[in-house]
Amino acid sequence: MPHYTVPIETQSGRNSPKPSPAHVYNVSDPPYRGQLETDASGYRSSTPETAIVIDNGSSSVRAGWQTDALPRLQFPPMMARYTDRKLNRKLTFVGSEIYFDGTARGQAKNLYEPGSNIINNWDVQEGILDYIFIKLGIDGTNGVVDRPVVMTEPLANLGYSRKTMSEILFELYGVPSVAYGVDSLFSYRQNEGKTGLVVSSANMSTHLIPVVNRQPLIAHATRLDWGRSQCSEYLTRLLKAKYPGLLTSGKVNETQIEDLVRSHCYVSQDYDQEAQRLLEWSGLEDRDHIVQLPFQEKEVVQKTEEEIRISEEKKKEAGRRLQEQAAKMRLEKLVRKEQELEYFKQLQQQIAETTKKEARLLLDEEEFKDEVALDRRIKEMEKSIRKQRNKDVGDLEEEPEEPPSYPLLDIPDEELDEDGLKQKRQQRLLKSNHDARARAKAEKDAEKARQAEIQRLDDARREADLDSWVEERRAARSEVIQRIKERDRLKADLGNRKSQASQMRMKHIANLASDNPLGRKRRRGGNDDDGFGADDADWMIYREIQQGRNDDDEDDEEEDLGAQLKNIESQLLKFDPDFTEQSTQEAQKDWTKSLLHAFARGPWPFDPESARESNQFHLNVERIRVPEVVFQPSIAGVDQAGIVEIAEDILMGRLSGHSARDDILKDVFITGGYTLFKGFEERLRNELRAVLPADVQLGVRRAKDPLLDAWKGAASWAREKERRQAFVTREEFAEKGGEYIREHNLGNVFS
Amino acid sequence: MAPITTASNEETHAALLDTLDMYKIHKPFRNPNWKPPQRRNKNLKQILSEAQRAQQSMLNTQQNSGATTPTPATDGTNTPALNPNPEKMSQDLGRLVLEKNAKQSNGISTPMAGTGFTGPSVTYTSIAAAPSLKPKKKYCDITGLPAKYKDPKSGLYYYNAEIYAVVKSLSTTQVQEYLAARGANTVLK
Repeated sequence: MPHYTVPIETQSGRNSPKPSPAHVYNVSDPPYRGQLETDASGYRSSTPETAIVIDNGSSSVRAGWQTDALPRLQFPPMMARYTDRKLNRKLTFVGSEIYFDGTARGQAKNLYEPGSNIINNWDVQEGILDYIFIKLGIDGTNGVVDRPVVMTEPLANLGYSRKTMSEILFELYGVPSVAYGVDSLFSYRQNEGKTGLVVSSANMSTHLIPVVNRQPLIAHATRLDWGRSQCSEYLTRLLKAKYPGLLTSGKVNETQIEDLVRSHCYVSQDYDQEAQRLLEWSGLEDRDHIVQLPFQEKEVVQKTEEEIRISEEKKKEAGRRLQEQAAKMRLEKLVRKEQELEYFKQLQQQIAETTKKEARLLLDEEEFKDEVALDRRIKEMEKSIRKQRNKDVGDLEEEPEEPPSYPLLDIPDEELDEDGLKQKRQQRLLKSNHDARARAKAEKDAEKARQAEIQRLDDARREADLDSWVEERRAARSEVIQRIKERDRLKADLGNRKSQASQMRMKHIANLASDNPLGRKRRRGGNDDDGFGADDADWMIYREIQQGRNDDDEDDEEEDLGAQLKNIESQLLKFDPDFTEQSTQEAQKDWTKSLLHAFARGPWPFDPESARESNQFHLNVERIRVPEVVFQPSIAGVDQAGIVEIAEDILMGRLSGHSARDDILKDVFITGGYTLFKGFEERLRNELRAVLPADVQLGVRRAKDPLLDAWKGAASWAREKERRQAFVTREEFAEKGGEYIREHNLGNVFS
Repeated sequence: MAPITTASNEETHAALLDTLDMYKIHKPFRNPNWKPPQRRNKNLKQILSEAQRAQQSMLNTQQNSGATTPTPATDGTNTPALNPNPEKMSQDLGRLVLEKNAKQSNGISTPMAGTGFTGPSVTYTSIAAAPSLKPKKKYCDITGLPAKYKDPKSGLYYYNAEIYAVVKSLSTTQVQEYLAARGANTVLK
């Protein structure tokens, strides 16, 4: 039954075509940045008090001397360690240097547990520290790293992680002292923050830490488990679902997805509105970003005209030769046949001249039954020779068209001998054959006339009353459409095991397969035949249980419905003034109107044959959908409050009675890689403004360098003499254990 | 050993491999007697459950022995309402002394010491954001547009009738794939 009717007229015409895409993006190359140089100058000019500052981040590790303005080393926290079978040696690569080689890239392990800010792979950590110390030129004269280390750690770092890190630093490298601090607080310090809310949206997680008078209120700090690396993961999932098979082909790797997130995504100011607007036709070509994956175009061999001509000639030549050979053979055959005929004719003459007995002998020799057979044979041969000569040699000897005569048929059986009866039977057969053919021809002519008559009547009716004719055609059209729909629905129903159609089908199959159909018990000694097949209609059951069978009996209906619709529509197009190209069924499936097409293929036609186009993916809604998660974690299945709700909870709930709350609001400080998305700051400001009371002042600012300020802050912090008290010495480590830290205003608290 | 850049050939690649290798470089600053503890790579779940077990056993022994150190007076200024985890507030005197030391040595007077610096209750799990209290907005699982409808059979949200046709044509695995993107998929254990 129709749930809705398709309007014959679409609202507006087909959307106007777009020029071909102006810019197609490519996926990035592996980010191999060359070998980092070993630079011992910093080490030589340092004193034993000069600290090595390490921002142990998850997107990249930054390291350098406290005296440096910028970190000397920056590299991803990756290490590849494997044994090369061919060279038979162990190899270790660290940082971006893993990207120079395919195997190394494949073997690379990340320092962090995927999706969390917890260090999970301590072998990688050792490799990274080795790398840092070597590149900083530490010569290890005393067998130790004889410089203090300042290191960042996640907020509320786990005791186990810190313990293991301290063990490595003190026991493996023998550093004199270590200080730990939280990266976002270092960043806040670098940006001269005193009282405010630090919103650090980084690679692995997002933290909000209220700070009052340079003292973090760690008890009120909150972590949201979403960062830029989770964005890449999310985009991968979305694209896998959007373009099945495209990402699994190994053409896109993690760093490329990360790069896509970085360069194409932005934070929308109003997600709901913008997502819908994003797929609108006008301007879609600008909003839709095409990313082209490497592909191999199917090779079409282009021949020059000369080559084509030559090959054709060759073909012709070969054909001619074959023809000639065949003609020669036929001619030889013809000659042989003629000789044979000559011989048989002589034989006939001989027979006529000799006695009966001798004739008998001659006939037997040639394996003929009697003279009649010989006669027939000669006649046959003459006929075939004539035919062939007509064809080949072109001797035009019109074959006399014998009007079929059946003289024997009129003679009653009694007057005929045995031979005559046989011939009569033959003639009757011939006659009935001939008659049947004539009948069929007549029928065909009649059908043609009937069709012409129908056409004529139809035309006449149309000319007489166009309106009712059109009405009728439209009704027919909608009926066909309805039937197509029903057929599709039935097909879909059969796909569903629980639908009535497929349940019935299963029942039939079970019945046919069972030994005693219809549950009837076989009576002992009785007749166990259930009479299946007695009625021809019984066999229809096998057609019915065929998969994908359609409801009507006609098998070829499937293609027929489409053809019927086409036919009716072409008639309507011809005669109905209101029925235009756009109202045909095909035009209504117009891709320029399809939301799905706009989503998956942008405003351009899609050719599934083209290797180029099937290796593209289009980023449109994803561009805002991916970074949106930090504001609405539920859309990626993270069961946590969004960044604004957390801020609201801290500022309006937990700190509502705090004397410094208004001061905190004046300085909402954002840092970390996630804040590099365009529009992040603005969106956070607008949304915070919306949830805060109207009379409070709100200030939102971003770190000068959201990526490097953490390291810079740590370095400048380490430069201050009085900070040395916050370092844990090796003696303290031995005495108080690996989890021990000295608390300071930029670090975690000891628990 | 496939070079990734077209600029390099076998030979230069092997040379590059040799220069970049960190394994062969002598690292004199490493303690040659260092043996890393076995199975030190633990995931977050393992670490958390171990920490919890350790804490539990410590609490038990403290309660049984009655050796709990009385809460010092400084802790009394804490407003319980501000502390999200009052029961976790361990009464570890050593820690408090330490905290005091740190503050004194840092030379920072903390006017908010009573209100904010509650200390030991802060753990990795305690600072995780709580579930949202606001109604979740629903978005089309396929296109990401705001969704008004939900297919009762597959549980997918969809934007309009055109997308519904797609939803209906999806196989079970595809449906699960879409659901997994928002963490609503069925996970068999």
